[in-house]
Amino acid sequence: MPTRNIVSPWSLSRWLDRSSILLFFAVWEVAPRCGGLLETFIAPPSVVLITLWELLLSGELYGHVAISLGRAISGFTGAALIALPLGFLLGGNFTTFERIVTPVLRFLGQVNPFSLFPLFILIFGISELSKDAMIFWVCIWPILFNTITGVKGIDPLLVKSARSMGTRLLPLFFNVILPAASPGIFTGLKMGAGSAFFMLIAAEMIGASRGLGWLVWNAQINFQIPKLFAATVVISVLGMILNTLLVTVERHLLGWRDSSPHH
Amino acid sequence: MARDADVPQQIQTDAKIVVKGITSVFHLKKTRTTPAGEFIALNDINLEVRKGEFLVLVGPSGCGKSTLLDILAGLAHPTSGGVYIDGKKVTGPALDRGIVLQGYALFPWRTVRQNVEFGLEIKKVPKQERAAISDNFIHLVGLDGFADRFPHELSGGMKQRVAIARALAYDPEVLLMDEPFAAVDAQTRESLQDELLRIWEATGKTILFVTHSIEEAVFLGDRVAVLTPNPGTLREIVKIDLPRPRHNSDTRSSAEFGWIRRKIWELLQNAPSDARPHPNAVPVADAISPTAAL
Repeated sequence: MPTRNIVSPWSLSRWLDRSSILLFFAVWEVAPRCGGLLETFIAPPSVVLITLWELLLSGELYGHVAISLGRAISGFTGAALIALPLGFLLGGNFTTFERIVTPVLRFLGQVNPFSLFPLFILIFGISELSKDAMIFWVCIWPILFNTITGVKGIDPLLVKSARSMGTRLLPLFFNVILPAASPGIFTGLKMGAGSAFFMLIAAEMIGASRGLGWLVWNAQINFQIPKLFAATVVISVLGMILNTLLVTVERHLLGWRDSSPHH
Repeated sequence: MARDADVPQQIQTDAKIVVKGITSVFHLKKTRTTPAGEFIALNDINLEVRKGEFLVLVGPSGCGKSTLLDILAGLAHPTSGGVYIDGKKVTGPALDRGIVLQGYALFPWRTVRQNVEFGLEIKKVPKQERAAISDNFIHLVGLDGFADRFPHELSGGMKQRVAIARALAYDPEVLLMDEPFAAVDAQTRESLQDELLRIWEATGKTILFVTHSIEEAVFLGDRVAVLTPNPGTLREIVKIDLPRPRHNSDTRSSAEFGWIRRKIWELLQNAPSDARPHPNAVPVADAISPTAAL
């Protein structure tokens, strides 16, 4: 691995690295003040920040974030709880059955969750459950498919060598099968978490009375442009935090892989 | 299996390993071009390995030598016959046998040390004791300073050293090695062979080593069992009287080495392709020495 020179965080090259984002904020701040249509449709960052501060102070933002995160977590967890064991069974023990059901699963995985949303509302009503079901639906497929691929891709020599040491079924699963399949599983979890958050906002914009998606939608119909921008910024920041979190967990759990730059 | 019923669970013997009448038949599924049938991988193999002996199984691919090793490891079951270790019948894998495979089979998510300690964890050896044992074996295979590296950071030869250390760490009496050096380059291979002999002499393990290289077989073994394919049959057991300790630098260049290599080569070349009667249970060429070949 080539060693990079340690660069001071305040050096010229570091400022150059940040120049695009700084320029972006500068243009965003100045452009709406030049008047015209931009003034009506775009709130400058300073105004957005003030709105954000007010939303925070009133406690309104906190409630929406909590609701949205709660929905995302419950849908995602439910999907993982079903998809992981199912993936292990289909990829490991019942490979013939897996071959038979794969076309059906692939088809279901391609069904757009938005087209199913009315169906979910019919079944679960305009309750929490319909939003949870939507998140569940988008999460379960990537987790399931990647778990199956991960389990099927385990080097049989690893299992053979563990078995030759008299490893019994349960230790074999936790010490060999699970870690060997973990790169595939993690890819699935990452994809699931990403689309869960994405779909959540959309679902809340269609049919909800609280949550970040609803906040965007509500600001939009009331023409509260600064509030709309503030909600969008919150969503972006949450997405970035989620991504950083996943990358950190991945580096920690899968640091042994040769593709990883971190050991 | 019905045929297993007449195989005794225990026998009286002085030998470490006894392979008694092993036959292994695979049932082939019907395909578009070939009808369903049977493939005889091993045909009535009889073999005895003494305690502390280095026995090499040599033969071309398809002679069933890896199948025989899997049966010895307890990972596969023979159609008939049995394997006995210290007179006790092998029924499954256990920690009295260590296995080293061609493809290293190291756990990529475990460091060198954690790989070496795998068998010890299965054996439920306490953590402090594990560390002492793994230190010892990492040192034995010459990997001091690499204990905390991951397998992907090691060369092929180093990976195979880790695999050997892992198999030795839980102190099996028998080491089963399935073409362990087939995947490394020639130079590394020779140095690993020297290392293996050194480790064998240091630990006194009984080693059963499978290879398709005649040179490797002659260089390493006390005796070489020659297997011929279709069906996998034990052709002959050749005794190797080369003096020990052997080193790649001088042993290979000796005249005796050449003669024994030639002898085994001929045994493999003249293998009749049609099914032949079973060889005697007692190998006839047990006492063939290089001078006899002259």
